Amino acid sequence: MRETFTKGMARNIYYGGAVFFLLVLIGLTFDTVKGLPKTDNSENMTELVAAGKRVWERNDCIGCHTLLGEGAYFAPELGNVYTRFGESTEAIKGFIKGRPVDGIKGRRSMPQFNLTDEELDAVAEFLKYVDGVKTARDWPPNVQG
Amino acid sequence: MNSDELQLKRASKAALFSLLNLTVLPVIGFIILLLIYQKSSSDSIDHYYSVIGIKTNVFAGIALLLVSGLMILLGGFDSPWTWVYVVSYFTFVHALFILFATWVLVRSWTGEKLKKNILSK
Amino acid sequence: MMKYESQGVAKLYFIAAIGLFTGQILFGVVMGLQYVMGDFLFPEIPFNVARMVHTNLLIVWLLFGFMGSAYFLVPEESERELYAPWLAKLMFWIFLVAGALTILGYLLVPYAQLADLTMNDLLPTMGREFLEQPTITKIGIVIVALAFIFNIGMTILTGRKTVINLVLLTGLVGLAVFFLFSFYNPDNIVLDKYFWWFVVHLWVEGVWELIMASLLAFVLIKVTGVDREVIEKWLYIIIAMALISGLVGTGHHFFWIGTPDYWQWLGSIFSALEPIPFFMMTLFAFNVVNKRRRDHPNKAAVLWALGTAVMAFLGAGVWGFLHTLAPVNYYTHGTQVTAAHGHMAFYGAYVMVVLTMISYSMPLMRGQKAGNQKAQVLEMWSFWLMTVSMVFITLFLTGAGILQVYLQRFSEDPLPFMVVQEKVALFYWMREVAGLVFLIGLILYIYSFFAKGDEVVFAED
Repeated sequence: MRETFTKGMARNIYYGGAVFFLLVLIGLTFDTVKGLPKTDNSENMTELVAAGKRVWERNDCIGCHTLLGEGAYFAPELGNVYTRFGESTEAIKGFIKGRPVDGIKGRRSMPQFNLTDEELDAVAEFLKYVDGVKTARDWPPNVQG
Repeated sequence: MNSDELQLKRASKAALFSLLNLTVLPVIGFIILLLIYQKSSSDSIDHYYSVIGIKTNVFAGIALLLVSGLMILLGGFDSPWTWVYVVSYFTFVHALFILFATWVLVRSWTGEKLKKNILSK
Repeated sequence: MMKYESQGVAKLYFIAAIGLFTGQILFGVVMGLQYVMGDFLFPEIPFNVARMVHTNLLIVWLLFGFMGSAYFLVPEESERELYAPWLAKLMFWIFLVAGALTILGYLLVPYAQLADLTMNDLLPTMGREFLEQPTITKIGIVIVALAFIFNIGMTILTGRKTVINLVLLTGLVGLAVFFLFSFYNPDNIVLDKYFWWFVVHLWVEGVWELIMASLLAFVLIKVTGVDREVIEKWLYIIIAMALISGLVGTGHHFFWIGTPDYWQWLGSIFSALEPIPFFMMTLFAFNVVNKRRRDHPNKAAVLWALGTAVMAFLGAGVWGFLHTLAPVNYYTHGTQVTAAHGHMAFYGAYVMVVLTMISYSMPLMRGQKAGNQKAQVLEMWSFWLMTVSMVFITLFLTGAGILQVYLQRFSEDPLPFMVVQEKVALFYWMREVAGLVFLIGLILYIYSFFAKGDEVVFAED
């Protein structure tokens, strides 16, 4: 078997396979991007949401939390936090605002980020928008994330 | 084709099906392995490798299915701890059997027996 | 002992790599402790900062490792000196200073302030997992990568072209190209996540596999003396399988982020094939070592090479497969199961392949064919300590993950995240102990470079 399978054949499988599946990935990417408006909640995309995403990024929230399951596994999932907090952006803002500066003895605690009111509004709105993304099978499995 | 080459070919086939039985062709792989064993004459290379394959798979069957089954039976189907042990155990031990069968396959390609350790020399 | 003098640049890169590796592990141990003692180093070094340092150091030191490996490998394969050794040295210092400043930035100023200082608003790219670097650092990475690719590209193009150095070059070019997606950061979270994977997945489950396979192939040729033709055939078929499975396999990240449902099928099927290249790498390494034409005096390097193949298969192959099918991933996505897989896969595939290259090349750059007896024994001990402790880290995180999945997502009465975290704390403690053993292994590894002992006897061919 290994005598009849030459290096040239292996090379052709590599080039052919790589090019073919790269093209498949590109094609699927076009299709995915085209179809996104059906699920990506972009109808609720506002200036405030975009500003909220910047707040989310500027404070490296992903360094502890997951968002739609991606990120760090140190703190709760936030892709559905709006639902978990009773569909209240006020509750989200209250939680972020209320974090103790020196943490909680012996326990994990979210840092006090000293966000301005505008930033709080924006990040809460951003989390509400992410909650509205239509994920397959309505992931996460339940409200606990 | 001389008989040595034929033996080598059958030996690597035996090792291959032992590996396949552990991975994508459970049961079917084992049946083919038994057929190879039946056709082999004692003292031949293919005999040696089909016996190793059968032993590996019988042992793997006990270590994986029986032990996992016992874990579930004793631990209870609804206990999270049962699944902690079963999934971790099964994944890890299964992988070790696959690695062993892979090593055997490599040895069968040259017809060498297993004894000579690569790092001891 | 080196065939070409300019190969020696690699030494700088390897020393930096090992230094940053040590930093990575120290921060890993800190994070491990924060998992069970939540207020450890709080608020000075919150978990997210420690994690950024841990993961970014990993990426940077692996890049140092890849570059060092390429600088050692390419002249030898191309049979000529490096095109511009001075450029390699210059880029080393630029990359080291930029990397160190970035890490210090993470540690010394709040992240939001770092974003302001580096004018993130002009082109916001920060604050996404693994791509936390300030935009200016990202631009620096691109410049360093381009200079590096130019340097080795010119060396290869004006020298002997082998399958190994061409595959390596393809992998490195791919690395640079896909990194460009890190500059694309749309407001739409689904789009953002989709293209974020074009960096992360197409690196670690795509082009990095090309780099890894070519480095492994190079070391195996050197230590076993097996015919190049045989090794090149294997190399082609391994990387063919890596790309055939891995490109569309990106789909296993598109299950739950608001992307179309067909990814459930495509992602599951193609990523189920992803263990194949890693399995073939194991088969390849076993086979080549079994058919070796000589016993190389550097036994430690042979051990690392075999270890890479086995651990990459376990970590990337087996532990990847464990949670890659959509119905399973529905429950395990974003839990400690992912963390378990991530640790063993990165260690088994990329950490170990770099250490394999270092193990093989470092003695040569220091004028010996192989390390002395004592150094090799110590190095092999460090191999086992690090590798076995990584197996345990993985098993403990897997245990934690399964329990987490059950309590938080599977049971009829799902518990809140933080309640579950306390229930799995025992696993985190055991992981931390295993992490400390890993650190001991690393210290031993570093010490092995300084150990004095009897020179090994060459069974020269």
